Amino acid sequence: MGNGRSTLAWLLIAVVGLLTICPVAMLALGSFSTGLTAFGSFTLAKYAAAYGDPALYGVVADTVGFVVGSSLLATVLALFFAYLSTRTDIPLKRLFAIVSLVPMMIPHLLFAVSWALLLNPSNGMLNLVLKDLFALDHAPFNIYSLPGMILVEGLLDMPIAYLIMAPAMASFDVSLEESSHVFGAGNLQTLARITLPVLRPAILAAFTLGVVRSLASFAVPSVIGMPGQVPVLATYIYQMIATGFATDYGKAAAVGMSVLVTSIVLIVVYRRLTAASEKFVTVSGRGYRPAQIALGRARGPLLAVVAAISLVMIVLPVLVLLYTSLVPYAMVPSRHAFAMMSLRHWREVLQDPVSLASLENSLFLGVAGATLGVVLSLFVAWVIVRVKTRAAGLLEGLSYLSFSFPGIVIGVGFMWFFVQTPLYATLTALLIGYIATYLPYGIRPLASAFIQIHTHLEESSRVCGAGTLVTLRRVVAPLLVPGIVSAWILMASMFVRELSLSVVLSRPGTEVLAVQILHFADDGLWGQLSALGMLMIAISTTLVVIAAAVGSRFRALAAQG
Amino acid sequence: MDIAIEGLVKEYAGEGRGIRALDGVDLTIPAGTIFTLLGPSGCGKTTLLRCIVGLETPDAGEIRIGGEVVWSKRRGVAVPTEKRGLGMVFQTYAIWPHMSVFDNVGYPLQVRRRPRAEVRDAVARALARVRLEGFEARLATRLSGGQQQRVALARALVAEPRVILFDEPLSNLDAKLREETRKELKSFLGTLGITAVYVTHDRVEALALSDSIAVMQGGRIVEQGSPQKIYFEAGHRFVADFIGRANLVEATVRGHAGGRTQVECALGTLDCQRRDVAVGSTVTLCLRPEFIRPDLPFAGTDRNVVRGEVDSLTFVGEVFEAEIRVATERLLARVDPEARIAQGDRVSFTLAPEHCLLVAA
Amino acid sequence: MPRRFLAAAALALAATALTATAHADAGDLAKAKSEGKAVFYANITSVQPIMKAFTADTGVTGEYTRISSSKFVATLVTEADAGKLLADVVQAPLPVLELLRERGLLAKYRSPSAADYPAWTHPDDSIQLFGIEYVGLIYNRDLVKPADVPKRYEDLTDPKWNNKIVMANPANHPSTISWLVGLREHVFKSDADWMKFLKGLAANHPMFVASFGPTPAPIESGEKLIGISMPKYIVTQAPAPLDWARLDGEPLLGTPRAIAITAKAPHPAAARAFVDYWLGRKAMGMLAKDVGEYVATPGVYPPIPGIDHAKVIAVRELSDEEIRKWGAEFKDIFGVK
Repeated sequence: MGNGRSTLAWLLIAVVGLLTICPVAMLALGSFSTGLTAFGSFTLAKYAAAYGDPALYGVVADTVGFVVGSSLLATVLALFFAYLSTRTDIPLKRLFAIVSLVPMMIPHLLFAVSWALLLNPSNGMLNLVLKDLFALDHAPFNIYSLPGMILVEGLLDMPIAYLIMAPAMASFDVSLEESSHVFGAGNLQTLARITLPVLRPAILAAFTLGVVRSLASFAVPSVIGMPGQVPVLATYIYQMIATGFATDYGKAAAVGMSVLVTSIVLIVVYRRLTAASEKFVTVSGRGYRPAQIALGRARGPLLAVVAAISLVMIVLPVLVLLYTSLVPYAMVPSRHAFAMMSLRHWREVLQDPVSLASLENSLFLGVAGATLGVVLSLFVAWVIVRVKTRAAGLLEGLSYLSFSFPGIVIGVGFMWFFVQTPLYATLTALLIGYIATYLPYGIRPLASAFIQIHTHLEESSRVCGAGTLVTLRRVVAPLLVPGIVSAWILMASMFVRELSLSVVLSRPGTEVLAVQILHFADDGLWGQLSALGMLMIAISTTLVVIAAAVGSRFRALAAQG
Repeated sequence: MDIAIEGLVKEYAGEGRGIRALDGVDLTIPAGTIFTLLGPSGCGKTTLLRCIVGLETPDAGEIRIGGEVVWSKRRGVAVPTEKRGLGMVFQTYAIWPHMSVFDNVGYPLQVRRRPRAEVRDAVARALARVRLEGFEARLATRLSGGQQQRVALARALVAEPRVILFDEPLSNLDAKLREETRKELKSFLGTLGITAVYVTHDRVEALALSDSIAVMQGGRIVEQGSPQKIYFEAGHRFVADFIGRANLVEATVRGHAGGRTQVECALGTLDCQRRDVAVGSTVTLCLRPEFIRPDLPFAGTDRNVVRGEVDSLTFVGEVFEAEIRVATERLLARVDPEARIAQGDRVSFTLAPEHCLLVAA
Repeated sequence: MPRRFLAAAALALAATALTATAHADAGDLAKAKSEGKAVFYANITSVQPIMKAFTADTGVTGEYTRISSSKFVATLVTEADAGKLLADVVQAPLPVLELLRERGLLAKYRSPSAADYPAWTHPDDSIQLFGIEYVGLIYNRDLVKPADVPKRYEDLTDPKWNNKIVMANPANHPSTISWLVGLREHVFKSDADWMKFLKGLAANHPMFVASFGPTPAPIESGEKLIGISMPKYIVTQAPAPLDWARLDGEPLLGTPRAIAITAKAPHPAAARAFVDYWLGRKAMGMLAKDVGEYVATPGVYPPIPGIDHAKVIAVRELSDEEIRKWGAEFKDIFGVK
């Protein structure tokens, strides 16, 4: 058994390693090579050029502010939403659970543009309303600023944080809080001293993923940071490669290497921090009972707060998209604008064969990719949690490799890699690339689930025999299903709107949504872009709803058995 | 400190209709006793405990602890859990995994902002009581099940609460450890002399630990009394059956004489414990296996003699369990392992009238 | 109404298209058909209708891959190095194709369809220019009074435009950098005048966006009033209230658009057939009418009032070195962070 386990570990290391190391290795090679590809004679000139620029260090300061700020916002918001929707009797919780996932389904580019329409200082819709309301002579908010970037990126990263924390909260052992009350602590004290510390592994996991994602993020720095003159590493890299026609991705990779190293250091630190607490056994079989906290008189006000946050931060940008898809060109809402609304952009998109092909391909990649990705993640997460060897640590580290690399560079790494294989320019290449890059989205929720199941498996293997099957069905399945659902949702909606890889690897026959959206953006066709974006949100929402429904069905079945 | 409960009702919203978990419970728990709520799962015992501690809100009734009303529908009083000053040991121990043993045990004092030195001393005393001296710095996750249980106990004691509540605290221990811990707990609570409310579904635990037992069924308290009273003189068939292994035989009351009640049943005419029931009414005769002893020498009287045939013999460790067929009844009996009795033997035995318990049919 | 334009274009130009295809040798077309398809790498708006027309008119399937400018060279060079260059025909700004030509990735070909194109469209034997990515001053005609519309480039330095201008980032957007340098070479008489213009423009705090794509939206919505943008948006964004500033005697500038056949094209005959078709009046007409492109075909103009009288000049293409150098200068002048 022990032998079989380590064989599996090494096999997975080989598979995951091949998928993630190869593109990164190509980029590393390129950063040390003369010329424009991965293969040239050795040089350090690219590093000298990249790190010799004194402007870089100012950029690093802004980057730290951006990354920490947005990850904090994402984590805190997600914590708030997840706590209310999993632990309390707040009304409409299913609705809020879905709403909090919406930003994940919107292409980042679109989400950033909607916010610019809402909060730009000249005629942002919200600014105009506030100006009227309070008779101000200046727009109260300027989205083109570091706080603006933090707001939008924070919202975009919130669903990831939510999906990582919600399962942990849902399976929280309520007696830990009850005992705190019995021993004299009030609600807030219990939250601060018991609930949050016990959830620390999940909170830290969410924060770390947020940091890694916002480090690699490009859409928000580009759409909001560039007009706001707040450069961060991602836009710095872009400026470096996009000035001129012979874009040198080797040089970009040289800067990207420090992002990669930062991400890896963060992940190592995170693993250290949670090494002890990962052993938390937060679910104990017989005592487990998903108790809900009665909010009492706070129910109404809290509902209002949650509704306001969801409305302003999530629903409003989506409404802006819908609006943009209906008006003929970019217009401030007015009677005139509403009079001119039509389905023209929708018709154009629905009659465009490339858009239709991209809808089909993205749907396929979302469903097939997420399913395969979850299967691979199941094995990897199991090995990481159960086989506590160096190999397991290595495996987890590997899974983050390509994930941590800036999006605009990693695609080229995959191109340099896939062009060496027969898979170049096929849908399979996209599928493999997606899974390799976004593996942590699958592994994280599943690893949390396995940590919780750990002891039950041990117990059952001690009792052995028929008990194991029962344990599997009664205990493991109900605990694992939320993890699987989270992982599938994360991966599927990520794949439906994947851009970094697709923009490099997509060819006729492998068109995907995000690339089509990018082309609309290149041409300034915001109406069509919004219409296609809405379709994309619809697809993702459908996938999420189906996955959640299937998940709760399975849990119900397991509970009956 | 005594606990008084009056007319307590708790309903849960079930599928389509409400389920009454507590159906008008009246109960007084005297100060300084170990009081056990015993019953099968779903009888309402845990709900009652959680109402006392404040983790559940009843729908009607009143709870007083030491004279102070902590919850009353009528008076609109609801003292929150954290203000009731109780101690509790949870079924899962609820040891906080992110804290050391010291912080776990010291928590009740820390949240009350007691001085550091006082906390330190109190924790040391509590740990000494549960024989965990020197474990202060140990992480809670590095404790065995038994150690966790003791940390939970130390934590429940540290603030010297008015009442300690136990929610099936031994059910997560393996059989051997459970027995040891039960004995420890018994002597421990005896020396402490505080009020303890103990919830369990394990009759052995209840009998061994308690000063007083309340047996619950369907959200009501069926019977209450000392362990001996509940065991030997139960008034209800349900209690008699639940508290120990019992042979239940339908019987008809024939008369009362000499401090005994005579009944007629499948075993013949028997003298039983005195019960005030009308002659001619139907009752249930309850016979504990340990008092059916076909292996003992025949006493020589002619009253209360029963004859039967050994149907089966099962070795269960200290004793054999025998099934003895008497007329249409099959009686479970205890047989000494050294007794020379074999399957198919015809046996006769005497039933002591004081062990022939009559309960309502 | 692109669809109606398309239909009109198809009808009006059917005859010319037939002559255009007739140019190609009948045997060549048969060979192209047997090769099956022509693979086209480009980054240009609304090419699909032309691909469809090409397939319908010639029987050779046209396959279009759109590749972002910033990834164009990297993709081509990577594929070529691995021996997997899938493209038969490539279209990109001239400097990009020159880079590819220097690496020996382009074949020599002079299309008969471009015989009547002006001389500047034939820089060498491999590359054919067919249009100009022309840049102008685009304003919101609902919000800018006719009297306020700039008459000269230097009018942009008027303080009334403070915080009202949008443009692509002058520190790194190659077309904008080339355009600004082009102004010095074709509009301003001295370095001092040019510098005064640049500083005046910078003093009006233009909002910088990543490329031309995001420039029209803020003008349409009124977030900004005017921008350094492309007149073609007047066509593609219709009915948006966009118009272009007609300047007194000053030309519109832009980078040339170029097309070429790859050296090791997997489908060489189909590639030639495609280039011939592309450069023909039908395809160029679609490009002009549908998406407002300024094409080199004599007499074909985008449907933008007044554009047929405008002087449109292709600026000198800058080397990457020059772009970086000027980008750095502009970064200072405009205070780009």
